[in-house]
Formats: sequence, C-alpha cells, structure tokens
Amino acid sequence: MRNTSRNITVVGATPVGLEVARQLTQRGQRVTIVDDYKADVDKAHAQGFSVEQINLQDDDELRRVGIGGDTDVLFALRNDDASNVFLVISAKAIAPDLPVVSISGSRDTIERLYAAGATKVIDPYRISGYKIYELMHRSVIAETMERTVFGKVDLDIAEVHVEPGSFLHGKYLDELSLDERYDLIVLGVVDRNYGDHLIFATDPRRHRMDAGDVLVIIGPEEAFARFHNDLNAELSGEEAG
Amino acid sequence: MAFSDLAIRFAYTLEESDAYRRAKNAVYDLLENPHARIRPYFDIFMMLLVLSSVFFLLYSVKHHLGAWSGYFEDVVVVLFILEYLGRMWVYDDIHRIIIDEYEKSDLINEPFSLSRALWTLFRSKWNYVSSPMAIIDLLAILPSYRPLRILRLFLLFRLFKLFRYAHSIQQFSSVLREKRLELVTLFSFLMFVLLVGSSAIYLFEARETGGDIDGFFEGIYWALVTLSTVGYGDITPHTLEGRLVTMVLIISGLGVISFFTSIIVSAFQEKMGEVRDRRVSLLLEKKKGYTVICGFGRVGQVVAEYLSRDKLPFVVIDSDEDAVDLARRLGYLAVQGKAERIGLLQTLGVGRSAGKVLCLTGDDVVNVFVTLSTRQLDEEIEIVSRANHHQTVNKLLHAGANHALEPFKIVGLIAGEYVGQPVAFEAIHGIVMGEDDIRLEAIRIPPGSWLDGGTIGDVPLTEMRLILFGVITTLDRSSDHVRSHFDLEDQRFQFNPGADFVLLGEDMLLVFGHQYSVMRLKQKLKRWRWRRKNA
Repeated sequence: MRNTSRNITVVGATPVGLEVARQLTQRGQRVTIVDDYKADVDKAHAQGFSVEQINLQDDDELRRVGIGGDTDVLFALRNDDASNVFLVISAKAIAPDLPVVSISGSRDTIERLYAAGATKVIDPYRISGYKIYELMHRSVIAETMERTVFGKVDLDIAEVHVEPGSFLHGKYLDELSLDERYDLIVLGVVDRNYGDHLIFATDPRRHRMDAGDVLVIIGPEEAFARFHNDLNAELSGEEAG
Repeated sequence: MAFSDLAIRFAYTLEESDAYRRAKNAVYDLLENPHARIRPYFDIFMMLLVLSSVFFLLYSVKHHLGAWSGYFEDVVVVLFILEYLGRMWVYDDIHRIIIDEYEKSDLINEPFSLSRALWTLFRSKWNYVSSPMAIIDLLAILPSYRPLRILRLFLLFRLFKLFRYAHSIQQFSSVLREKRLELVTLFSFLMFVLLVGSSAIYLFEARETGGDIDGFFEGIYWALVTLSTVGYGDITPHTLEGRLVTMVLIISGLGVISFFTSIIVSAFQEKMGEVRDRRVSLLLEKKKGYTVICGFGRVGQVVAEYLSRDKLPFVVIDSDEDAVDLARRLGYLAVQGKAERIGLLQTLGVGRSAGKVLCLTGDDVVNVFVTLSTRQLDEEIEIVSRANHHQTVNKLLHAGANHALEPFKIVGLIAGEYVGQPVAFEAIHGIVMGEDDIRLEAIRIPPGSWLDGGTIGDVPLTEMRLILFGVITTLDRSSDHVRSHFDLEDQRFQFNPGADFVLLGEDMLLVFGHQYSVMRLKQKLKRWRWRRKNA
C-alpha cells in the first residue's frame, strides 16, 4: 500500500506547496504542480521545480491537468483562503470523489473549507504555534518526537490493514501483544465495529480485529520489516495451502 | 599652599579611616539605601513626625497650645535639618573629590589647585541641593512664617516614594510642552480678554460711579471669576453697561475653557500609546521569566493562546496596529512597535527578567535581526525563531536562536503522509495539533514514590487507559529489556521498554492517553509518596 505510486496534483507554487511537492516526490509519488500566479511560478522555476501556469478559474484547464481524470489526490495550497475555497469547490464539482487536502490561514476558514468539500484541512499556523509551545514548555516531548518520529527514520508511524486470514484477524488487540513480539506499539485503530474513525488504542481489550480494520503502529523500521515479513509469509502460505 | 597640603592629607586620612567609612555607611543605610533593613522603620518615624507637626499646625489655628508645642516644633526642625545635612553628606565623598583632583594634577605634573577642587566639590553638592527632593526638604525646614509650614506635607511625597511616578509627571509636562503653541495662543487671548474685561468693569462699576468695585485689582479678580464660569457673586454688576460686559465675558469664558480642555485631552490622547506601553513595562517589572512574542500573526496568536491557557506570563510586540488591538481585546499585554528596535526589547526586560523570546514574524529578515539583537542583550535567554524559508534556518541558528522552526516543512511532512497512509496521517495530525483530548504526555516519577525502584509492570497502564510510548532516563542508564533506545541531547529515550524495566526517580514516562488519565496517574504518584513518608 505504501509504495504504490499515485498521481498528485499540487495547486500553489507557494512555500507550503513546494515543500509538500518535495516530500511527496521523495516518497516516490508522481507530482504535478500548477499555479496561476506568474511571480510564484517564476520563483518556483528558479528553485528547480517544474510548474505549469494555468488559469485556476477555468474548469477545462483543471480537467486538462488531471482533475476528474487520473489525479488521485489534490492539494489546494494557495496562500489566500478565498482562492483555496474556490478551488476546492471547483474540484469537487468536477470530481465529487476526489480527496482534496487544503490548508487554512485562520480558524473560521477551516469550517468553510470543509463545507466546500475538502477531505482534510491542515492548519499550518496552529501546528507551528503548538510546536513552539511544546518546544518551550514540554521540551522533553518535543525533543523526543523530533528525534524519533519526525526526525530521520528512527521510528516510523505506519498503518496496517487487517486482511482476512492474517494472524491478526479475530484476535483482540491485547492478545496480539505486538509490543513484546515485534517491538511495535499500537497507537490507534479504526475498528469497524465502532465506526470509521480513528480511535486511540487506550483500551486494547475492547478491540477485536476483523477484516477491513486498520491499525496505526509506531516502531523502528526493522521491527516493521519483521512484522510485514510474518504477515506476508502467512498470507502466501495460506494461498498456497 | 600649606592649607592645600593640609586638605590633601586630611582627605587621605579620611580615605583610610574605617570609622569614618562605617559611620557614613550607617547614615547611608538609614537615609538612602533602599535595601537596608532599618529603612522602613526610619521612614515610618519620619512620616509620623511630618503628620504630627502638620496636625499641631492645624490644631493651633483654633486652640492655644502650651509652650511644649514650641519645643516640639524645635525638635522637629532640628531633626529635619539633621536629615537634610545627612543626605547632603552621603550624596558624594568630599575627600574622594579632593584626592581625585590631586591625583589628576599629579598625573599631568601640574601644581594642585585647591580652588579648582573646591569648585568641583561645590558643583557636586549643588547638584544635590538643586534636586527636586532636596528643594522639598528645604521647603519643609525653612518656613519661619508659620502657615507655610504646611509645605511639610510635601515631605510625604518623598517618604511615600511618590517620585517613582516622576515619569508620569515628566510625561505630563512633555504633553504640555508639545502643545506650547496652542497654549500660548490661548493664554494671550485670555490675558487680552481679562484686560479688556477688567478695565471695562472698573470703568462702569467703580465705587465712585455707584458700583461695587474698589480698585483695578478687584476688577481683575471679578473678571477672572466670571471668565472661569465660577461666578461667586460677591461682586455683581449693576449698570446696563456692566451687565453687557459680563455677558460677553461669560461667553468668551466658555470658549476659553472648552478650548483649553480640548487641547489637553487631544494631547493626552496622542500620548496614550506611550502611557500604555509604560504601564506594560511596569506590569512586567514584577514578573520573571516571561515570554516576549515578536509578531502577532497566526502563529503568534496560537502560541499566545496556549500560554494564556496555562496562565504563563507573556507580552506581545507587533508593528501592526490591528494585530496589537486584537491582542489587547483578548486581554494580553501588548506593545505596538518594531521589534527591531533594540530599545523596545530592553524596555520589555530582554536582558533582565525576560526568559524567552519568540521571533514569529512572517519576514525572515526581521526574525534574524531580532534573534541577533536578543542574543546580544542576553547570553542565556531562550530564543525560538520562525524560518519561512528553508535557507533561513542556518542563519537563525548562527544568529543565536536555540530553535528554528519551519512551519511549512512540518506541513509538508504531514501532508506527505496523507497520500500513502490516510489513517496514520490522522494519528499524526492529532498529535501535532495538540487539540485532541488524547495527547502525548510526560509523567515524572517523583523520587521516593512507589514507582521509584519499581518496574514497568507495576505501572497500571491498561487499567488507566494509557499507552506507554517509552521512558526518558539519564544517558548513563543501561537499556536492558529495551530493544531500541535513542539518545537525546542529555537524556536517553528508551522505546517500548519491557515489563521488567526498572524505573528510578526522576525518570519520565511518555504515555499517550486522555488528559484525565494522565492527571490521575500524576496524582496517584503524589499521594503514595505522601503516604510512604508518613509510614
């Protein structure tokens, strides 16, 4: 799941847009950047990005760059909230099922972007503000997270989908004891018995794994490798049998 | 010549005399040293002296006091004089001035001139005598004209340390000075109306022509009373001409007063910002280790929100009026101004009592500049800066920032996660937003508590609905029962420690959990410790 390459369209040759594009390209996704503001486009060119300049208010041009076509995820990352809202609405009108991620400059806009149909809205300022607060007053936590999860690749957070027939299936979370067997900590779970949203796994006895459930797991890379290895071995073993 | 030699020798004797220095220190402690323990008692004594002397003065208006009141007055005056001389004495060191002068002339090989030394000495003492406090002291001593002894009340000014507010007085006078032109115009107009009015009333209402006015002075007095709309009515015009003059005078009086009021009000309104900033720095003076937030944009607002939620003191600087207004509306301390101005940072206590500076403006140039200025003012202060471009991070660290934060990088990281792993993204987003009830929290193990020396297995994690992430220990702790550990700057993070991992005091448990669970475990740790102490 993690390594399949998908088509991403990033709208906005802004600092955020370029950073997102960089991160996604690093992860092996196919990224197209578009913007209609000439100065931003030129600046991005100067930084070595290939950006296409299109008229964002023209639906035909949006279709041409893949919206409603082969684009899998759209990022609306312009600097001003109004044009992000407009873009989300246009994109949703063309392709109602397209996941759209946007950013918002203020708290009120978050609601409006969701109303416009955005799948996920990220508030970069709140995240940064909270981060600064953490740096100052919860420095141990900030340092740990910085060093492990957000830093190099020491600890990964990854999601694991429960397949029918895997050794996860039918077990309660506490029975699995992934922490002892693999050095992996189960952080959260999407338990279809409780709905489709993420629940933090603070009560592992409550959650029985069924097909379609998702686990969010944190742990070192080599532990993941062993875990995936066991999962695949079992699956292919079953297929063979 | 012989006399100047004598003076120099005398000065050196004083310089070397311990007794002299001790005596002077004692007087300094009594009169001036704000930290001396005896000071408050002495101040209260002086206050009582002033109040009782004024009381006797007022009492004697209607009652006859015996001879003892005269003695009391003498004692009071003697004490005041002694205090005045004492202050003058400790104000500077005469012998040091003489020695300095002597050594200076010795250095450039010139004959020592006693007269020049005396002149310096006189100038220095004159500085004291002409200071406002000394003048008030003198006014309290001098009056041999009894009613003027009421001036002694001014001594309370000094005793109550009202001069701390001298700055406000200065501000007041600077307001008046700025409006000098308007005030002078108004004053000339007033004088002119007064002159015309008093001459006219004298002309029409003099005693000789059948009116109430006895002389030109009474004319001026009447004109001023009428002009100011006070209008006692002890002198009233009787003739038609006199009444006409009165009417004109009343109308111009109204004009003068409203004009005067509006000048003063508008002048103060212009100065209001300064007065408010002054108040902010006065409020900050009492605090320690507060945070200075430069830039009240969206990031600054979020930080301020968290700080005020935790009731931590902070002050906001922004050059934009709207941003500062918003901060004030939210009840934060805020100053409008450019954070680049080193003076503003100093006024807000950077380099003294401020503990942290955050440079959060949207302009990297400003952030670097403020970081650098702050680091110059204070070696120890913690600086967190925002880098809006990736290249700025290094510059900020060079300029002395402890942390440089790239808002867009974090967003890039998180947004990148969304594409491959939408569910994991949800978890990470929750953690970095800090808005969910479930958060990553650190729980310190108090030394001597029931967990000090216990194992991970003893922590009631599942019962309390907590997910253990890891344990923070000192760097030198072994990592038995731990498969992965990571070294932080001066601590070690033990990821996913096994149930047999031994905990020690001052270790920190990092857990994910509902804030109530976290709070509950913290309370438990405290209570058990208390119980153990009693046992």
